[in-house]
Amino acid sequence: MNLDKIVAGFFIILAMTLNFGFCYGDALDMNMHSKYELFAAIVVNLIATVLKLGDKTQMGSVLIATSLVANLQLIIAATIWTIFADGETVNPHIFGIIISLSVGALLANITSVLLYVGDTLKSKR
Amino acid sequence: MNEGSLWIILQRMRLPFIVILSTYTIAMTGLLLIPGVDENGNSFQLSIFDAFYFISYTATTIGFGETPFPFTHNQRIWVSVSIYLVVIGWFYSIGTLLSLFQNKVFLSEIAIARFQHFVKNLEENFVIVLGYNETTREIIKRLLAAKMRVVVIEVNQERADYLQLEGFVPHVPILVKDAHNPNALEYAGIKSRYCKGVISIFEDNALNLRITLAAKLLNPKVNVVVKATTVEEAENLRDANADIVDNPFEIIAYQLQMALKAPSLFKLENWLYKTDTLESKTFSIPDTDIIICGYGRLGATIYEMFIKNNITPTVIERNDSRVNTANYAGVNKIIHGSADDHFYLETANIYDAKLIIIVTDDDTINLSILSTVKKMNPKALIIARENEMTDFSIFSQAKIDRLYIPDRILIQKTTNALSNPLGDKLIRMIANKDEAWGHALLVNLVKNLGVNPKTYELDLTEKEAYEIHKYLKNKENTLALGILKLSRRDRNRKNNLLPLLILRENEEILLPTDETLLQINDRILFACDSNAIDDLEYIANNAYEFKYVIFGEEKKLFFR
Repeated sequence: MNLDKIVAGFFIILAMTLNFGFCYGDALDMNMHSKYELFAAIVVNLIATVLKLGDKTQMGSVLIATSLVANLQLIIAATIWTIFADGETVNPHIFGIIISLSVGALLANITSVLLYVGDTLKSKR
Repeated sequence: MNEGSLWIILQRMRLPFIVILSTYTIAMTGLLLIPGVDENGNSFQLSIFDAFYFISYTATTIGFGETPFPFTHNQRIWVSVSIYLVVIGWFYSIGTLLSLFQNKVFLSEIAIARFQHFVKNLEENFVIVLGYNETTREIIKRLLAAKMRVVVIEVNQERADYLQLEGFVPHVPILVKDAHNPNALEYAGIKSRYCKGVISIFEDNALNLRITLAAKLLNPKVNVVVKATTVEEAENLRDANADIVDNPFEIIAYQLQMALKAPSLFKLENWLYKTDTLESKTFSIPDTDIIICGYGRLGATIYEMFIKNNITPTVIERNDSRVNTANYAGVNKIIHGSADDHFYLETANIYDAKLIIIVTDDDTINLSILSTVKKMNPKALIIARENEMTDFSIFSQAKIDRLYIPDRILIQKTTNALSNPLGDKLIRMIANKDEAWGHALLVNLVKNLGVNPKTYELDLTEKEAYEIHKYLKNKENTLALGILKLSRRDRNRKNNLLPLLILRENEEILLPTDETLLQINDRILFACDSNAIDDLEYIANNAYEFKYVIFGEEKKLFFR
């Protein structure tokens, strides 16, 4: 048992689950996707990224890369939403872009969790 | 910035980043939950972006005011709380970042990165000098003058700062690290193909040996120049494949032997070391009535040399243990006493002495002996040793016939070996020639080239002698050495050029004749004047000049 591992695992998995939660549902139905959940997903993803920093191993570097990809996609999605919400023109087309971006981020998050689990299984302690 | 420093930043900034992220999130969440009022009095919910914008300029204490609408009381209460939260988080991370830039480890990582970057981009031949002090400073100066670049590894930051103050041109980068750390050698570019040598002349012999081993393991091709002060150490170092082992004491003894047996060779050697001209005053050593003051490492080496030449000098030494060593070594004429004392000098028969060698390892004692001896026997030749190398030397004012400074010997030997490798080779080859041979060469050189000829080294490689290399690559073509002597103004006349040595893969030709056939990758050492160097460079590289000296006609471009 190691507090560091618990915290890191918690945030890495939470990043994935929140991301999934946001994407889940009909892609074009705006009522099924909460902007607050996107906000939470971004924050938790950022925290997960920071927690992964400073690990110089090969595994650590790939983990950081996956997190950076997820962050990039989610932040772009949020930015698009903010821009179009201003003119109140979030039509199904724009919303489709937002959801597909966050689904991409979800893939990165899943990769990250798989790697993390794999690394844990490999560890002898 | 290299990996090391980047990782230090990331690792140190982890907590500050998390603090910023969580304080921002808490403050933003509060603003999202608490309802506000718009200008018409309707209930208004801040958007996520509004909240982020507001917190961003509040945390950085920029403070644009309350947007998009003035806040209600409830909102202001929450903002008061969050200001303290986010501003503290923000300042904490900026403080950590600033303290990081004063962190010694971080700064040294940056310095190492810059050093490595410099060495990696260095595309000239360079030499790694280990340790910075008076001696290596001179070596660096001489190497730079010989168009070699230098990189330095020094463990002491203070001494490294002195190097920066020296302001060498071209720039000499310095790495502050332990020289025996193999990483340091690697950072300094020992594996680079431009690295021509490593100079390690520390007082600590074990350290020299360790560096030799490490350097040779990292790059077997690199020349390692090390210092040894005893025969056993020199053996060890040669076993470790050191290329050039400098023993200043042995060099001094060897030079005295040359002066004793073959003064002409001695003059030639001094000229090759660039310390004197060929016309220097003949310095002949008498073969009887010699007194050596001091039986330390140098005294013992010189004594051995005289014994080998069937001369028995008298030794004066005051240190008990050294007298014991001398007795053990079979020195029979030894006087146990202080050499600046009249009584002991008289015992050593000072009034009849023809040569007095003052070589204790203490400069004060040496000076004291010197003044006593000069009063008692002004006619004798005097050879003295100076230990401290300073810009202003009291010894040089004392009208000594020959002054030896071991550090200076080391400097000459080391730089010569690296910047003029063929000259160094030549010095070693003429060592076993006799006086007659040396005299003939000396007369020849002075007659044709004056008292201070230049030396020039030509490698018959594609890079240094393009035309000759191209011509010789065709196996049917042959080229005699004499061709290189021809003047490019008139091929019936010859330049002042005297080949001294040709070095091949498994052959060394001393004083090659004009008929000697050249081969690809020959390394040739000439004695010449500057005009001849000019011509030689043209002939070796320029197609027109080359054709002219060989065939007597210029290369034709169109009509063949």
